Amino acid sequence: MKIVTTAENLQTYQAYLRIIQIIEKFLQENNYLKLDLPVLSPALIPESYLEIFKTEFRYLDTKDNLFLTPSPELFIKRLLSEGIGDCYSMGKSFRNSEPNSPKHQPEFTMLEWYKIGKDYKYMAQEVLKMLSAISWELFGKNTITYQGKSVSFDKWEEMTVAESFERYAEISPEELFDAEKFMAKAKKKGYVIDEFSFEDVWSQVYSQEIEGNLGTNGFPTVLYDYPIQFASLSKPNSDGKTAQRFEFYIEGIELGNCFSELTDAPLQKKRFIADDRERSRSGKIEHPVDWGFIDSLEKGLPESTGIAIGVERLGMIFTNSNQIEDLKLITVR
Amino acid sequence: MAIQAGNLKRGEFIMHLGDIWQVQKTEFYSPGKGSALMRSKLKNVSSGKTVDYNYKSNESIETVDVTSIEMQYLYKDAENAFFMDNQSYQQYELLLSVIGSVIEYFKEGESMYVYVHDEKALNIRPPVSVTLKVIQTEDAARGDTVSGAKKEAELETGVKVMVPLFIKKGETIMVNPELGEYTGRA
Repeated sequence: MKIVTTAENLQTYQAYLRIIQIIEKFLQENNYLKLDLPVLSPALIPESYLEIFKTEFRYLDTKDNLFLTPSPELFIKRLLSEGIGDCYSMGKSFRNSEPNSPKHQPEFTMLEWYKIGKDYKYMAQEVLKMLSAISWELFGKNTITYQGKSVSFDKWEEMTVAESFERYAEISPEELFDAEKFMAKAKKKGYVIDEFSFEDVWSQVYSQEIEGNLGTNGFPTVLYDYPIQFASLSKPNSDGKTAQRFEFYIEGIELGNCFSELTDAPLQKKRFIADDRERSRSGKIEHPVDWGFIDSLEKGLPESTGIAIGVERLGMIFTNSNQIEDLKLITVR
Repeated sequence: MAIQAGNLKRGEFIMHLGDIWQVQKTEFYSPGKGSALMRSKLKNVSSGKTVDYNYKSNESIETVDVTSIEMQYLYKDAENAFFMDNQSYQQYELLLSVIGSVIEYFKEGESMYVYVHDEKALNIRPPVSVTLKVIQTEDAARGDTVSGAKKEAELETGVKVMVPLFIKKGETIMVNPELGEYTGRA
């Protein structure tokens, strides 16, 4: 790896800073408290599909393992259960084993914000207002042009995950929510399914046939109600098949991920155990599970919704850049 | 030989849905739902058609063994380019849509390497640099000293590239044929 200096990006970098200012102004005007959080933690939320960075703290003869946080969620939910209220954090997050690419860097800026007493559908409206605020402040209108295409923030294109599979991949809800039928259909479409899990094949079909279509019809797309296998830290829906999670996209680029937060401590504990097991099975770096997180859920996490947004990716959209590096003065790659 | 999709590299030849394809581009991608993926752009070596395909990063892919043979570029017609093995005198042909725009940088009679599998040419191995003469370019305007400024130049194969203002008609320059970029004076 090397250090790459790109001072010629100064103008785009300044536009990116302006976007960050607008976001923070929007959140502060809406009474979200800014949180300044650590990036090193002795324990983490186990996430099956994310690899982490491990380091250690040394003092005389003692050594303590520390981990760079892949998301500030573990800190924020502790504070929510202490009654801190609506809040946000904008800071660096770290994901290992994901090389630099136009839309991803192992070290990136993540915005997370949480609203008490509301659910994911409320958050979708709040996010649209923020996108709108950025557009108005930067361009004096509610429409931008990204890579030659017009995107309006007048409304969302709303679609459930099931509708998107039906529309773009011709996979019916019946096939989508039955792992066996789904795998059979994927095999018929030419995907390799042997020795792969439903989650792995689903993810491949999703990226191959769905994602590229999202946010391409003149509006950003909010895609919601993911299969329960991808619930992660979100609340299940009453249908038993889906979870209250949405992601939003512009021109096929995933920009954010939102949950109605799961407040059920025993269920979250069960998911932690399963995720921790999946991490070991797939040979990921081991880390202590943050059981304190479960304790704070037990203490009482208020009903809430939270979203995580890739700030650089959002910056790409509003500066009409096609790679994150265009926003940066220094990159390590 | 089988490799994991996560190790796929640009330029490799692989089997995909029963055909031979050359990898044009790859991008590792971890969506956080299910396993990581390897986004790839593939070119079918029989038709020149390209597709985007996302493999699971730990999916096994069959690579195609190729030999790289030095050949002479003979000529091209509307659809194909023709090559001859300098040792065996055997002739090979390749669709222009498979070779892509790099062909515009080659002079007839020039030597280059061609990838062959099972008696069939799959694609050329483009050299990092080709040397070509400038046959037409405007003289730089006096006093035009903007650093990095470029002008268009037509090269002896008919292709046009952007060159620095100091390059004159009749000079020989080096070009990266894959990027279509001037790299220096020869």
